[in-house]
Amino acid sequence: MSLKICWIDDLAKAQETAKRTNRPILLDFYNPN
Amino acid sequence: LGAVTYPDERVARFIDLNFIPVQIQTSNAEMVSRYTVSWTPTLLVLDADGKEHYRTVGFFTPEDLIATFMTGKGRWYMDTEQYPEAQGMFEEVQAAYPGSEAAAEAIFFHGVTRYKMTHNAKSLREAYDTLAAKFPNSMWTKQAAHYRLINK
Repeated sequence: MSLKICWIDDLAKAQETAKRTNRPILLDFYNPN
Repeated sequence: LGAVTYPDERVARFIDLNFIPVQIQTSNAEMVSRYTVSWTPTLLVLDADGKEHYRTVGFFTPEDLIATFMTGKGRWYMDTEQYPEAQGMFEEVQAAYPGSEAAAEAIFFHGVTRYKMTHNAKSLREAYDTLAAKFPNSMWTKQAAHYRLINK
């Protein structure tokens, strides 16, 4: 099975994880159209 | 990015190891306003408080994305005063992607980070000398040009 990026759409949740893991957030703004 | 770069396994592995990945649609007006986003794709590196440390606008090949965001993570390490980790990341970019613009930026900030650690201005001069030798036409070389006045 191929490895895929597990994007999340909740910045607040990402911030909690970033605090816990000492990792930065990569925030991608995209236009689906 | 979604068609070519993100599906690349090297990119997925790199992002998974180094970042918490978040995608927000531009229809989210509150977020677009908060981070002043006016074009896509826009990619930001944020800390755990949501503060911005690095920004790009436009598309990347898989290699360029990895090189650029290795440097981006180095900038986050530097801003959050994790200097040895920043140095390590800037050295990794130079070793893995030696001809890239991200490597030029990494040389610049490697010098800055070393200066922050040692308060020895020679590290800035060395960064300039390395940039001038390897990247004579890079904007990072121009931006470091003032450091050529520092004695070796």
